[in-house]
Amino acid sequence: MDTQDLCIAEMGRLLRSGVVSAETLARDALARVAARDGGLHAFVLVTEDRALQDARRADDELKAGRDRGPFHGIPYALKDIYDTAGIRTTCHSKLRLNVVPKQDSVAAARLREAGGVLLGKLATHEFAIGGPSFDLPFPPARNPWNPEHITGGSSSGSGTAIAARMVRMAMGSDTGGSIRGPAAWCGTVGIKATYGLVSRRGVFPLSWTLDHIGPLTRSVEDAAITLQVLAGYDPQDPASADVPVPNYRADLEKGVARLRIGIPRAFFANASATTPEVVAGLERTAARLRAAGAVVEDIELPDYALFSAVGRVIMMAEAFAIHETDVQTRLLDYGEITAGRFILGAAITAADFIHALRARRELTDAVNAALSRYDALLTLSALNTAPRFDQPTDALSSASPIQTIPFNVTGHPAMSVPTGLGASGLPIGVQIVGRVFDEPMVFRIGRAVEKLSGWEAVKLPAG
Amino acid sequence: MAETPSPDALAVEFDCLMARAGVSVPPQRRAAALVAYADLRGQIALLHGRYGPEAEPSNVFRPGDK
Repeated sequence: MDTQDLCIAEMGRLLRSGVVSAETLARDALARVAARDGGLHAFVLVTEDRALQDARRADDELKAGRDRGPFHGIPYALKDIYDTAGIRTTCHSKLRLNVVPKQDSVAAARLREAGGVLLGKLATHEFAIGGPSFDLPFPPARNPWNPEHITGGSSSGSGTAIAARMVRMAMGSDTGGSIRGPAAWCGTVGIKATYGLVSRRGVFPLSWTLDHIGPLTRSVEDAAITLQVLAGYDPQDPASADVPVPNYRADLEKGVARLRIGIPRAFFANASATTPEVVAGLERTAARLRAAGAVVEDIELPDYALFSAVGRVIMMAEAFAIHETDVQTRLLDYGEITAGRFILGAAITAADFIHALRARRELTDAVNAALSRYDALLTLSALNTAPRFDQPTDALSSASPIQTIPFNVTGHPAMSVPTGLGASGLPIGVQIVGRVFDEPMVFRIGRAVEKLSGWEAVKLPAG
Repeated sequence: MAETPSPDALAVEFDCLMARAGVSVPPQRRAAALVAYADLRGQIALLHGRYGPEAEPSNVFRPGDK
């Protein structure tokens, strides 16, 4: 049995029936990492001892009748900006090579408490913003579909680890699309929930008011299981929302009949980087949803350029505030791409920042208004498939091919779901956006897209 | 902010902002930084002159909120 292709729910069934042990799952995953990661560089640290310790605990507890729930005994990995007690957390940066946190981030603690098995720490663009780069302490993660191509970022190792079948769940973070971008380009599911649903405490910040954390997974159901572990109020996270946490799997198979879905077509229709094959992928998805009973129609939102400008100004200004002292005193210790992005934050004036916050209110109101008429939005995650390393694009410029930042600006839940392969054999995906705290609807539509696209039958890179 | 400055004026502006922020941009990286700044400045221009005084920012706080 190839345990790497078992979904989280099936792993759980086999664990509880005694067909496999958590230790077997962990050893299989570690063997897969050992076999594949030399050429892909998903991991910056493999925590084998910790993984086996977690797995044996999970096995012992199940034998003793203690079941921690659907994540019990499941291998996973963390982007290396998540604090892990006693385990180095570098942010993929020379500036933090020797940082060993004393405490787990809230997410790491929740996953541990849920019985998860930590395999290690994953590559990221430096401080979740600078990459892909070859001037950092660790090499950049490569795309398993074609290692000459980038993964997208910043959750680069997370995308690689899922697509290379090393783990079924890898945590990422998303400030302008750093979960959904790699998910789209690596052919995985990736969700950032509503701002405030998942505690950010203990995850190194890039931009406090845009940062979201969440999982990249092989399937929508895996993502729903993981969010169930992560969601919940944290009084020590100033942005945390004290809202009920529903059952995220309850509506997965309800289908899309009579749902209303809006496509903000102008977001991508006139963008210079848009490629016909990703638009065709979206059209196929829309047609399948219509055939399944949904009403899918074009809608208008404010210009994409305004969303992008607001997101970039807020991100750059907040990031500079976080890194100000180091940018002033040791700029050359950052990678060149990272440094180039942080210094832009120094060029933003107070008026620029305040106008961005005024526009943020306007844009959030506009998306809320659209979602008062529609159950969800459907749009592209990216305008193209993953570029080659030798044809880099600036993911933070006005011409970025990643189309995810609007929902960091507005805080709405958004998920990228793979829908097929382009002509080059690289994945393409679509983005589903829901009402605030309506993650069940995002999962419901995402599951329908996943089923209707036939993605589950697509073979991942064997390696 | 309404007008796009000439490349020379943009460079002077950038240098002033870096000096004000206490950031020393290495000479070999200045050209790339100016290209990125010109792009960012174009985005910033979209935000200015858009609102009247009644339009408040998204982070106006309420005393007593947690």
